[in-house]
Amino acid sequence: MPLLSDPIFGQTMITLMAAIVLVLQITLVAQKSLVSSIYVFALQSFLLAAIAGTIAWFTGAGHIYMAAVLTFLLKSLLLPAILIRLVEQIRIEHEMKPLLNVPVSVVISGMLTLLAYVVAEPLQQQMSFGSPSSLGHNTLPVAVALFLIGFFLIANRRKALSQVLALLSLENGLFLAAISLTYGMPLIVELGVFFDVLVAVLVLTILVGRIREAFDSMDVTRLSRLRG
Amino acid sequence: MTATVLHAVLQGLLLLLLSPLLSGLIRTAKARLQTRRGPSPLQPYRDLGKLLRKGMVIPETASPVFAAAPFVVFSTTLLAGLLAPTVFAAAPLSQFGGVLALVYLLGLGRFFLALAALDTGSAFGGMGSSREMTIAALAEPALMLAVFTVALTAGSTDPSRMAQAAIGQSWRFLAPSQMLAFTALFVVLLAETGRIPVDNPATHLELTMIHEAMILEYSGPWLALIEWSASIKQMVLLTLLANLFIPFTLASAPGVPAILSAAALYLLKLLLLAAAVVLVETTNAKMRLFRVPELLSVAFVLGALALISTFLFGGR
Repeated sequence: MPLLSDPIFGQTMITLMAAIVLVLQITLVAQKSLVSSIYVFALQSFLLAAIAGTIAWFTGAGHIYMAAVLTFLLKSLLLPAILIRLVEQIRIEHEMKPLLNVPVSVVISGMLTLLAYVVAEPLQQQMSFGSPSSLGHNTLPVAVALFLIGFFLIANRRKALSQVLALLSLENGLFLAAISLTYGMPLIVELGVFFDVLVAVLVLTILVGRIREAFDSMDVTRLSRLRG
Repeated sequence: MTATVLHAVLQGLLLLLLSPLLSGLIRTAKARLQTRRGPSPLQPYRDLGKLLRKGMVIPETASPVFAAAPFVVFSTTLLAGLLAPTVFAAAPLSQFGGVLALVYLLGLGRFFLALAALDTGSAFGGMGSSREMTIAALAEPALMLAVFTVALTAGSTDPSRMAQAAIGQSWRFLAPSQMLAFTALFVVLLAETGRIPVDNPATHLELTMIHEAMILEYSGPWLALIEWSASIKQMVLLTLLANLFIPFTLASAPGVPAILSAAALYLLKLLLLAAAVVLVETTNAKMRLFRVPELLSVAFVLGALALISTFLFGGR
C-alpha cells in the first residue's frame, strides 16, 4: 500500500504531531520569554493545521481543508505577527513572572495531562478503533490536556499579554477536540470561531495597551486595586 | 561460553579504545563550529598517555577512599558499558543484570567520586560533590521514567530484549512515547556527562564548575582513570540512547558482513548523536546553576508524559 494512502501511516503522523503539540503546550508553561512563547504558539498552531490537513487528506472532507488553511493563516501567521508587533510597540520587559515557579508549574501540567487522560479515556473507549473513520480520535486526551493546561496558564500568569497567549492556546485545545471528535464543525461555525478569536485578540491588544498606559505595567493584579 | 567471554573482551576493548576518540571528536567539532581550529581528535589519547606517565600528588588529608575512588569509578563504568548492547543485540553480560543494574552501576561510580571529592576537605571538592548530587537526584527520576517507557513497550528491563523487541516494529521510533522518552533521555545525557547547558567541560576556572571541581585534587594516573571513565560513561549513555530507540541496525545473525555493517552503523549512530550534542553545546549558553532544576524538571515531565502516552495512544 502506498505510504500516502495508508491509514496506519496517517494515524502515526497524527499521533506524533498531537504529542508534539502537547509538548509545546508544556514548553509554553516553562517558557519565560514572551517573544519565544509567541513563536511556540505559532508552531503549535501550525502543527494543529497540519493535523487538520492530514485528517482532511485521509477522509477527503473539503471543509476540513478550509479549517486547516484558515488555522494556518490566522493562528500561525496573523495572530503571532500582531502579538509580536504589540510586544515591540510597548517595549515590555521580556521576563514574565508566573505565580508559581517553573518546576512546580511544569509538574502541575504533567498532572493535568494525567487528569485529561483519565477524563477522556471512557469517551475514547466508546469509539471504534482501526477503521479510517476513527482517524485522530485518540488525540482527544491531548485536546483535553491542552484545555486544562491553558486554564492553568491563564491562572498562573500575571501579565495581560501572556494571558492572551494562554487563552489562544486554550482555543487550540478546543479546535483539536472538535477536529478529532467530529471532524470539525460546519464551516460557518468554524468561520465564526475564527473571527471571534481574531476580534478577541484585537480587542485584547487594545485593552493591553490601555492597561499599560494607565498603570505603567501589564500586571493585571494591579487592576483590583481601587487607587493606583 | 568462550563466545561470551570473547564478546565481553571485545566490547570492553571497543569502549576503552574508542571512547577517548569520541570525546576528542566532539571537542574538535565544537571548535570547528566556533571557527576555531581546535585540538586534533586524538588529543584525549595524548592527554591520557601523558597523565599515565606522570607522578602523583596526594593531599595529606586524603583517606583510603581517595585512593579507591578512581578504581571504583573506572570499573563500575566499564561494567555498566558491558551491560549495554553495542554492535550485537545481545549485551555480553546481560545475564548479570538489566538496564537497572546499568543505571545504578553508574550511580555507584558517581557516589564514590562525590565521596572522594569530600574526602580531601577542599572547599571546591565539597561544592562540586554537593552540586553533582543535586543534579543527579534530579536527573535520575527523568532517566528512570524514560527507561521504563521503553521497558514497558518491550515488556522487559533487559536492554538486549528491549532492543530485540523493537527490531521488527516499523514506525516505532515515531511513536510519541518513544520520541518523548528519547528527548528526556537526551536532556539527562547532557546533565550526566556535564555538557554545556548544565556544566562546562572545558573550564577549570569558573566557580560554576561541577565535575571539574570534584576531581580538582586528582593528578597523574588516577586523574587519567577518572577522565577515561568520564569518556566511557559518555559513550555508554550515547550507546544506550542509540540502541534503545533506533535498534534496527543491531546485528542478530552471525556472519562477518552482517557484523561489520552493524558495527559501521553503530558508529554512525554514535557520531550523529554526538553531532547533536555538539550543536546543543554550541547554540546554548551555560545555564545558571539555579536554573538547572528547571531544565531537569522539564526532562522529568517529558519522561512522565512518555510513560502516560504509552497508555494515552495505546502504545503506538
